Amino acid sequence: MKPSTQPTKKPDFADPPGPKASGKSKPKLSAADAADHYQDFDYSNFFSGAGEDPFCMLEPMDEWWSYAHPAGYYQFELPLQTAPGPVVNLHETLHNKDLRGLVNFASYNYLGLSYREEVIEAAVEATRKYGLGASGSPILSGTLDLHEQLATELARFKQKDCALLFPTGYSANVGTISGLMRPGDTVICDQFSHASIVDGIILSKAKCRFFRHNNVEDLEKKLTKAKGKKLVIVEGVYSMDGDLPPLPEIVEVCRRHGARTMIDEAHSTFVFGKNGRGVAEHFGLEDEIDIHFGTFSKSLGGIGGFVVGSFKLINYLKGFARSRVFSCALPPGVTGGLIKALEIAQAEPELRKKLWDNVDYAHKLLHQAGVDVGNSQSQVIPIMVRDDWRIFYMGTEMLNEGVYLNPIAYPAVGKHRSRFRMSVSAAHTAEQLERGTDAILRVLRRNGLCQ
Amino acid sequence: MSVTRYDFSRAVSAFYEMPTELTRDLLPRDLQPLEAHHGSSIFAVTAFDFTESAVGPYQEIVLAIIVPPLIESGGDFPKSAFYPFLLGTSTPEARAHAIERWHLPHFMADIAVDFAESDGTVNVSVREGDKPILDYSVTEHQWEEVDHLYQCHMKDDAGQYKVDIHMRGQFCEHEEERGTLDIHDHPMCEKLDASEIAAFPFRELWMKQGHQLFEELETLS
Repeated sequence: MKPSTQPTKKPDFADPPGPKASGKSKPKLSAADAADHYQDFDYSNFFSGAGEDPFCMLEPMDEWWSYAHPAGYYQFELPLQTAPGPVVNLHETLHNKDLRGLVNFASYNYLGLSYREEVIEAAVEATRKYGLGASGSPILSGTLDLHEQLATELARFKQKDCALLFPTGYSANVGTISGLMRPGDTVICDQFSHASIVDGIILSKAKCRFFRHNNVEDLEKKLTKAKGKKLVIVEGVYSMDGDLPPLPEIVEVCRRHGARTMIDEAHSTFVFGKNGRGVAEHFGLEDEIDIHFGTFSKSLGGIGGFVVGSFKLINYLKGFARSRVFSCALPPGVTGGLIKALEIAQAEPELRKKLWDNVDYAHKLLHQAGVDVGNSQSQVIPIMVRDDWRIFYMGTEMLNEGVYLNPIAYPAVGKHRSRFRMSVSAAHTAEQLERGTDAILRVLRRNGLCQ
Repeated sequence: MSVTRYDFSRAVSAFYEMPTELTRDLLPRDLQPLEAHHGSSIFAVTAFDFTESAVGPYQEIVLAIIVPPLIESGGDFPKSAFYPFLLGTSTPEARAHAIERWHLPHFMADIAVDFAESDGTVNVSVREGDKPILDYSVTEHQWEEVDHLYQCHMKDDAGQYKVDIHMRGQFCEHEEERGTLDIHDHPMCEKLDASEIAAFPFRELWMKQGHQLFEELETLS
């Protein structure tokens, strides 16, 4: 496979092992030929196969992997050896080496709260008092006074009647959607919706319709065709693109079609809005949206998810959100830390201001160099590469240049829409932003992707 | 092993999302659609301009649903697998050949396929005489020389079949959502609910100056 136009920089290939044991022997390919050949495939090719054996895809994927991995594909799960702060150490598994002092643009610890001393102290104190786990489902023995305190303070912050806590953001979306929607209902969501939204719809057995990203006209088309109960779900900040939904238009069209609305503010809580309540506050539409979802793992630096809304909504979900009912409640240490993190995030609006100063500065540095960042309007900045294999070689270059970024490629995003996802934090200093973006620009320039 | 070769100047394909429950009406009971997202399966339209074949030059439109490939241990892995539920060709000879040899279901009148190329876009227009069938467009990306393996599944009253198809030539593919689709009111499209099929392709594939190699037909049942 040889590019006929824009040439791809050839990496230094490791000599790949031969294909793993399989029914037929295959000739061993040269390193470069193997990489070329196996670039035609990715995870999506191994999702489903016809036949009788549930393991039918294991061997084909293993064979592909035996070439693809040494050729540079897959740079995930690199173990961090430090807290997810603005500078990190990690172990680079492909070449089995430790890397130190990397500027970290990969974590979504947007306010730098996960390692704040007061947060850690609160977590330690709660762990000492209550132990490691909650030891029960929230509806049975697992609810602690700490959980009630966190839910109450969260509801007060979001200016809603009640909040419901979940062990993860994923389970919050899954539990809320499947707890509310039923077979015969229709859920309409943006095509770039998070997997937890899609999985919630699958579990609900409601009809699922996707509308074109941020396209209100297409949403209206889907709403017009939908029958029965309708729920429209959008995200505050889209996690792969960093852009916002046209919320006023979406709310208006939903109102006209009698659809309920839900907003996933995982990446926008404590980032957008005058008081940090998210994109709904940013647009002045908090009361027009029926279900507000958020996570504790982004700006608050912990883990967990939540839904806030009316008393009746939360009361209903307590009974029907199975992902909460049948999971252990949040660990006491995390809950104690989150109460402190929530308190700090509200008491120190300067953190949000610092975050936005950093976001603006990072955008400016990238914009000046002509970097393609798509339509990002937030702290999530895609650095578009648009080459589904080269991005992995570039990922190694990024690490070697001293910056940690996650490569995002198909099928997480569309084919040839691969990008690095850059997450800016309030904890970054100007020097770190400059050092990190300089490293990014060196790699992009070498690959002909910026001036 | 004998192979059957078809040379083409253009092969233009676009993948559109459509509700899974509607694809089930187009598939045999024992084939499942492959979903792009939950609830959304893939309707594929492919137009060929064949310049040389056992039945001479002709044009063809293939309407298909993407299905999971049938995997054999140690075998080559296909890029994707199709179940063509209806084809149209520009000559009776091409139809007779494809029905007899490959068990492919055909619209039984001559159709014409027009390829209009400009500024990195190819507009494909399919007609039966003056009656429009469908129009779609595909845009280009980075071109490269490829040898891709595809799998085609067929079923008729006599049985179920599979054939491996190698596609070789200049190729580009992307998911920039720049293409289009217009399905017209025509008997060839009567099984398609145009309002339920995305008006833009999520994936666009374009080949030039290549050839198809059909391996031997396998009878599955």
